[in-house]
Amino acid sequence: MRNLLAISATELRRFIRDRSNIFFVFFMPLLLVVVLGLQFGGGGSESRVAVSGAGGRLRQALAAELDELSVAVGATGDEAMRDQVARGRAAAGVYIPNDAAAAFAAGDPTQVELIVGTQGGSQLITQQVTTALQAVSLESAQRAALTGQGIPPDEAERALAAAEQDVGPVHVTIESVSELDEEFSGLGQFDLGAASQLLLFVFLISLAGSVTLIQSRQYGVQRRIVAAPVSPRQALAGQALGRWVIAVFQGSYIMAATALIFDVDWGNLWLSLLVLMVFGAVAAGGAMLIGSLMDSDNAASGVGVGVGLVLAALGGCMLPLELFPDTLRTIANVTPHAWAYEAYAEIQRHGGGLTDILPQLAAMAAVLLALGAWALRRSVARAM
Amino acid sequence: MVTMTQHDTESPATGSDVLVVQDLVRNFGELRAVDGVSFRIAPGETYGVLGPNGAGKTTSISMIAGLLRPDSGSVHVAGQLMGPRQVGPKALLGLVPQELAIYPELSAAENLRFFGRLQGLGGAELRSRTDEVLDIIGLSDRAKSATKEFSGGMKRRLNIGIGLLHRPALLILDEPTVGVDPQSRNSILESVEALATEGMSVLYTTHYMEEAERLCDRIAIVDSGRIQAEGTRTELIRIVGELDEIRLDGSGDIAAAAGALERLPAVEHVLTEARTLRLTVREAPTAVAGIVNAAGQAGMELADVEISRPDLESVFLHLTGKALRD
Repeated sequence: MRNLLAISATELRRFIRDRSNIFFVFFMPLLLVVVLGLQFGGGGSESRVAVSGAGGRLRQALAAELDELSVAVGATGDEAMRDQVARGRAAAGVYIPNDAAAAFAAGDPTQVELIVGTQGGSQLITQQVTTALQAVSLESAQRAALTGQGIPPDEAERALAAAEQDVGPVHVTIESVSELDEEFSGLGQFDLGAASQLLLFVFLISLAGSVTLIQSRQYGVQRRIVAAPVSPRQALAGQALGRWVIAVFQGSYIMAATALIFDVDWGNLWLSLLVLMVFGAVAAGGAMLIGSLMDSDNAASGVGVGVGLVLAALGGCMLPLELFPDTLRTIANVTPHAWAYEAYAEIQRHGGGLTDILPQLAAMAAVLLALGAWALRRSVARAM
Repeated sequence: MVTMTQHDTESPATGSDVLVVQDLVRNFGELRAVDGVSFRIAPGETYGVLGPNGAGKTTSISMIAGLLRPDSGSVHVAGQLMGPRQVGPKALLGLVPQELAIYPELSAAENLRFFGRLQGLGGAELRSRTDEVLDIIGLSDRAKSATKEFSGGMKRRLNIGIGLLHRPALLILDEPTVGVDPQSRNSILESVEALATEGMSVLYTTHYMEEAERLCDRIAIVDSGRIQAEGTRTELIRIVGELDEIRLDGSGDIAAAAGALERLPAVEHVLTEARTLRLTVREAPTAVAGIVNAAGQAGMELADVEISRPDLESVFLHLTGKALRD
């Protein structure tokens, strides 16, 4: 164990000494999380309504009702509202003309304008805005009825509030039949990008790290280690442990940074870490394999980056797996990325437990065992 | 007539010898790289393996250090059987490989500490031993510098220092001065002499005759994977007997001169090196006149003639018909 730790600590030290790694480990992943968050997350535009036009009671009441329906409301000018809806930054816009605001205040029939976008959730948002306006109208009518009977406005307000407390409201749960909407529901803007970039970078940095294994052979250090009272298997296990520590370090950093900076929800933290540790072990096995198959560190670096990017793309780290055609989705299961992606989806989106992600963990462990056995046998032969 | 001085290696390792190598054989495909090599090293002895490149020195070292499994034969270190999976005897050896085996990204002290930990050192002992070795190899003032900034000689010294760190019973130096400037080379040789004086057993391979003569108590002359002869310098030179060496430098028809000289009864061997002929000769003082005459008649125009007493180079030439640097 002492030898394993000495070798893995040295691998980690060498990795940290290479300053080019700092950019790829610390900055690049977060940069891509931001880019993907802006592309795919869009700030939850499917449940955002922009309101423009006259202020006053109607606008305040509408905003309050929409807020109760968990719809985000933004106030803006008329042109900006139409632009936001057109660009998909808001699912719908409500324009309140001045005369409508005045009519509402006077208790007269009121007409507002609803502008709906073309996104998947536009029907839903139309329904939500309509419901909110109906609630505003009803409350206004109730208030008018009470004051019409000679009840002072303050008492009328109190009576309405008491009635709201006493009469349990009917809650309507709105379900979308769109599988995609269902799948991505509840995800924060950066949640999806954070998980996929974690998988991409953990694997990529690990494979690129196969260079250090080749350099150890080229430097003659590998022979010297094996000439010490260290068995060839211990020497290689130490290097694999070093790669694994680097992978888990990188993944943990991405998890912590995205949680703190972008408020990414990783679900059950311990399960997310477990997925990271198993995936990191698969990545370390891949690095050992490339390191034992290749002789040139430059070639290994190129192959590592190439293989890492292709597997990441195929495994749903660049475009969500849910958007893949069925055939490609099936093919994606040859990558450990796809299994880890699904495990994170289960934990982050559906509150899945250990039993829910066991199939994914088992698939990755199987890849790891096959990879490890092959890589170890070949690496031992090459180390001597 | 070649006289071989071979120690008895029939019996397995005894407690007294640091190293017993017995009938080592290793093939690479059709090539027999090591062919029945046997020798012993006593405690405190500096043993040299002298031979040209490709003689099988490094392959033998790899088997002795447990890096390579022999096809047949055995290696015992202080009575323990050595092999790739034998951790115990490896702890008794300090290997200084021919190629630099250090991490360039790490400092000298970090390299020493890393390999020290693998040798079982730790804590205060590792720290003090690291400082001692840095002092021995003259790198105390550069202990924290990354080794990629070191000169070739400094890297070589660190390479040796790593082998010394755990005070091994036997230090194995595989051609440690290859590619080193004269000043660093001398520093390395002085370090080895100092270690030998302190009683450390050393196995030293080289293709430089002067190094073997300067450092080694006993020397094995190897060629084509076999030990051609073994003994002290005096014993080895005795193999050549009363033979001297005559060096002829000149121009003209060197090849014809070499052919003519080979036919002279006093001449044992003739080696051609560019415009120089090196002859192993009996009774050089009386034979030299006839040799000069024969070379001239064959078309060689002599510029210089030199007679010298035999050295290890002569022995190697006598045993193999080749020069050490061939």
